[in-house]
Amino acid sequence: MRVSFQSLERHVDLSGVTPTQVSELLPMLGLEVDSVTTFGLQPIEHVVVGEIRSFEKHPKADRLNVCQVDTGDGVLRQIVCGAKNFKANDRVPVALPGAILPGNFEIKSSKLRDVDSHGMLCSATELGLPAGEDGLLILTARAPALGTPIHKLFPSPDVVLEVAVTANRGDCLGLRGVAREIAASLGRPLKPLEARAPSGTTDKPSSKDAFGFVKSSSKTCPYYTLRTLRDVKVGPSPDWMRRDLEAAGLRAVNNVVDITNWVMLQTGQPLHAFDAAKVKGGIEVRSARVGETLTLLDGRVLTLDANTCVIADEAHPLVLAGVMGGAESGVAATTTDVLLESAWFVPGEVRRVARQFALATDSSQRFARDVDPAGVDLAARLAADLLIEHAGARVVGPAVVVGKAPRSDRTIKLPNGFVAAKLGTPAPEEHVSAVLRRIGFTVHATNTGLEVTVPSFRSDVDRPIDLVEEYIRVHGTAQVPVGRPLAPLPGEEESPAASFVHEVTLRLAGAGFSECYHYSLCDVAEVTRVLDEKSSAQLALQNPLTADQTYLRASLIPGLARALQLNLSVHAEPRQLFEVGAVFRPMSDGQVRECVSIGFVVLTEAPRRSWKTREPFDLFAAKRLLTGIATAAGIANTRLTWSDVSGGLWQEGHAATLADRGRAAEGACGLLDLRWTRTLDIRGSVIAGEILLPRATFASARKSARFEAFSSFPPVTRDIALVVPTTTGAGDVAERLRQAAAKAVGKEIDVEAVTCFDVFAGEGLAPNTRSLAFEITLRHSTRTLNDVEVTAALDQVAAAAAKAGWTVRR
Amino acid sequence: MQSQLDSALKEAADAAGQIRTRAELEALKARLVGPNGSLTLVMRGMATLSKEERPAAGKMVNAAKAQLDEILATVSARVEQAELAALLGPTIDPSLASPDVASGSLHPLTRTRERILATFRKLGFVIAEGPEVETEWHCFDALNTPADHPARDMQDTFYLPKSFRSIDALRKGDEDLLLRTHTSSVQVRTMLSRKPPLRIVAPGRCFRRDAVDATHSANFHQVEGLWVDRHVTLADLRGVLDFFVKETFGPEAETRLRPSFFPFTEPSFEMDIRSPNLGRLSDRWLEVLGCGLVDPKVLESCGLDATEWSGLAFGLGLERIAMLVHGIDDIRHFYANDLRFLRQFA
Repeated sequence: MRVSFQSLERHVDLSGVTPTQVSELLPMLGLEVDSVTTFGLQPIEHVVVGEIRSFEKHPKADRLNVCQVDTGDGVLRQIVCGAKNFKANDRVPVALPGAILPGNFEIKSSKLRDVDSHGMLCSATELGLPAGEDGLLILTARAPALGTPIHKLFPSPDVVLEVAVTANRGDCLGLRGVAREIAASLGRPLKPLEARAPSGTTDKPSSKDAFGFVKSSSKTCPYYTLRTLRDVKVGPSPDWMRRDLEAAGLRAVNNVVDITNWVMLQTGQPLHAFDAAKVKGGIEVRSARVGETLTLLDGRVLTLDANTCVIADEAHPLVLAGVMGGAESGVAATTTDVLLESAWFVPGEVRRVARQFALATDSSQRFARDVDPAGVDLAARLAADLLIEHAGARVVGPAVVVGKAPRSDRTIKLPNGFVAAKLGTPAPEEHVSAVLRRIGFTVHATNTGLEVTVPSFRSDVDRPIDLVEEYIRVHGTAQVPVGRPLAPLPGEEESPAASFVHEVTLRLAGAGFSECYHYSLCDVAEVTRVLDEKSSAQLALQNPLTADQTYLRASLIPGLARALQLNLSVHAEPRQLFEVGAVFRPMSDGQVRECVSIGFVVLTEAPRRSWKTREPFDLFAAKRLLTGIATAAGIANTRLTWSDVSGGLWQEGHAATLADRGRAAEGACGLLDLRWTRTLDIRGSVIAGEILLPRATFASARKSARFEAFSSFPPVTRDIALVVPTTTGAGDVAERLRQAAAKAVGKEIDVEAVTCFDVFAGEGLAPNTRSLAFEITLRHSTRTLNDVEVTAALDQVAAAAAKAGWTVRR
Repeated sequence: MQSQLDSALKEAADAAGQIRTRAELEALKARLVGPNGSLTLVMRGMATLSKEERPAAGKMVNAAKAQLDEILATVSARVEQAELAALLGPTIDPSLASPDVASGSLHPLTRTRERILATFRKLGFVIAEGPEVETEWHCFDALNTPADHPARDMQDTFYLPKSFRSIDALRKGDEDLLLRTHTSSVQVRTMLSRKPPLRIVAPGRCFRRDAVDATHSANFHQVEGLWVDRHVTLADLRGVLDFFVKETFGPEAETRLRPSFFPFTEPSFEMDIRSPNLGRLSDRWLEVLGCGLVDPKVLESCGLDATEWSGLAFGLGLERIAMLVHGIDDIRHFYANDLRFLRQFA
């Protein structure tokens, strides 16, 4: 809200207080000041009204005119001017030699391209006024006398504060509310605000001359008042009122409209004036009928529905209740009889309707923040007073009142010691009383505490804790002491997921990966690259804002691939990137699971040449990283199963998935689909990996590892080579051999490892087969193994392999 | 005999200069001290000498042998040196850059987060987390945000369709699921699952339906703090947050509590800081976080008796803090992932 310093002075004595002081004081009361600007004309000497009697083209410059200007002192001044927007006999501001314009620009007599010029014709901007049309500030329509000092035509200088009012402080959407805060802070009284016009007392018109019939059937409007004023003379409003309106950013229209707006600015209560001649029958506050239309003041035509509250006459809606008036029933130059509406609307309803029709008006903004029900009557009476004084109106009878104020003053019991207990510092009851009285609360001390009566304009103060806020706000938050440091609470567990994420992040950064953060929302192309169409659809938002952020992400890999693309394009030499964050996966039963995901991408070829080449990063390097991450999450290596993957993100035959079915962890690693990465302008190949861990993974506390004793005797290793079908995984073969060996050697002997050390296909082997060589390591727990028992065990392993259909090469 | 010894020594000395390999060295040794080596023969000849001659001859032989050992040791050292040189290859140039992948880096928001969490750990706060897809109740209702509050509007908050079911945020009745607008929802989850006293910080990603510009982002990060205990006061709030500000912005930073409004705290404040070390933003009041005492309605929503328990809460934006600490002027840098940006905070 725009708060003019001069307007504030109507409500509180600000002598000795500067606008800067006010702008520093308001934020500490909870009223943020977004900006401080000036309004009106700053004092300038030697700028007067002049008339351009005649002008002709400058002989040496096409764009300049040589004007003969009369400033009322009996001589014509020759002034060269570059503007084009004037005609002969226009009156304009003339800066005479000696004038100093804003920006410390001194006007002197001079020659412009050899032509004498004795002053300057001014534009609005040159005088420090808000910019209007291009060129000179034309004053002709206002017909000022020649030679009038310019500042007599414009309001005196003022400072305007743009105050941001929080949702709970509807009372500060009126100048009086802001003034009350300042007065409380300065310890000064508010100036009185009283109306002479009588209060409303009737639910029927009091005389034949008063307007007929008012009823309300809408829950949106529990309290409605209407006054009849006759013999209104519509015309311009007084200068001081126009000034106040313009300082507040409103346009002056006519005295009737200006008066309703001016009263709103002071009290925060929006008012509406109807032209009585255009209202047929009676006034009814009701829900709109489906399909009814209303043409607003701004010309927009709304099609209404049953959720919209309107003010209607017997024929059709006239006003969108609490939001904006209609074009038809408004006050015009011909109006003689005025119906003045002052009402209270349910804040949430006004907010909803204003949103629905995208109409944020001065009125809706105020009703939506909850206006003072007690102010409904006062504002209407203030307006009536002004209409009598400035529009010659005659008030006919008391107001018609339908319903009653939904809220009035209320009393809160504030126990002794309550404020001090919340502050953590003493707050004597007498002091609390004094502070609360300064913001208009009534306080009565009892033995057990204070009884605080909160006036109706404060919709937000209902409980003792609310009074603590009021006290410390006005008393000053600097009075809150700084509490002493704390000791930890014993036995509190950190979130295991957070600890895991921290560990993994450090691990990957340590391994040469750069961490990225991408948005959690993605477009349809990205989500369908990861999931099938049906699953993708499950991740759609209900109300996306932009087409590129329509779905929850299902994987970190697409974002990381894009980051490679971006960094290649800007020559930032990307190589290894990673990200940790939430991704979303639909499950077979239709529920969506939120997983902690760790993803990484590696460009296998360095973007820049080097004096020495390294082995490229491959699927197995990715696999090692993923198993390490799984271990850190508490998933043992042996729980993971690996299998082929194709389609989607991955290149067929060059990527693998991992899964831990027990804990529903899943993941994949390998080469990204080459056709896709090529569309991203990535030359060469990208190895990626991602592991998705459901939140449940971290639900149970990690067990501490238990120590197991180990053998002090030497191991024995033996090799075995097998010819197996190409489709049989070496890992599966190793597992079969390990099981066979374990069965063969019994409990005393540990099968420490079965490792594949050679893979061969080609010459000497049948098609679709390959040779795999394994090293088997055995160790006895209590003695050295002998050759006979090892050979016997190996024979059993070989037999098991043969039984599986594999040819043993020994 | 002396002449025999001299000639053997001479042979050794002459040959030594030529020897390049261990095999040549071994051959020379064999010629001198092998079973038929020249020195061996001289020593064998000593057996024929008289008892009187032997001591002198022994001395001569020992002296010659010492000289010979010296020659062979020198050659052996040279040969070993040559062997190692061959094994090691050319010497290195330590000024060459490592051909390996450049060092990795942590995202500035991760660094900022960890620094903030470390600060609050010192004060006995532990980390708590909650889901990003959240129920309306946890995000709004339990936090005393009325149904018609603007923050709940479809224009400001991302909602999920009614068909969306999340196993991490179970919907009650007809309520909606949404992308959480703050990590304050974790306060609610924590108070419901654990008994006070509680001291938690909840870092996490949040969402608002904002168009992206220099200061707005479709998602952003918050760290929410909550302390519930008996007799938590505004002085405690100030103590905790002043400590945080001084740890983050240095001991010169000043703070002030500016009254404000949030549905879930009463009283509510914005905390402003002023510091001489913030570049262009030095020496002026800057808003850094929102805070207050937990509104009694929030405690009651979470099943706590507000006459017994009280609490304080605060919420700060990671991006905001990182931008102030590092002098970053555009929030979009955090999500653009340009390595020229990311590496600056490695």
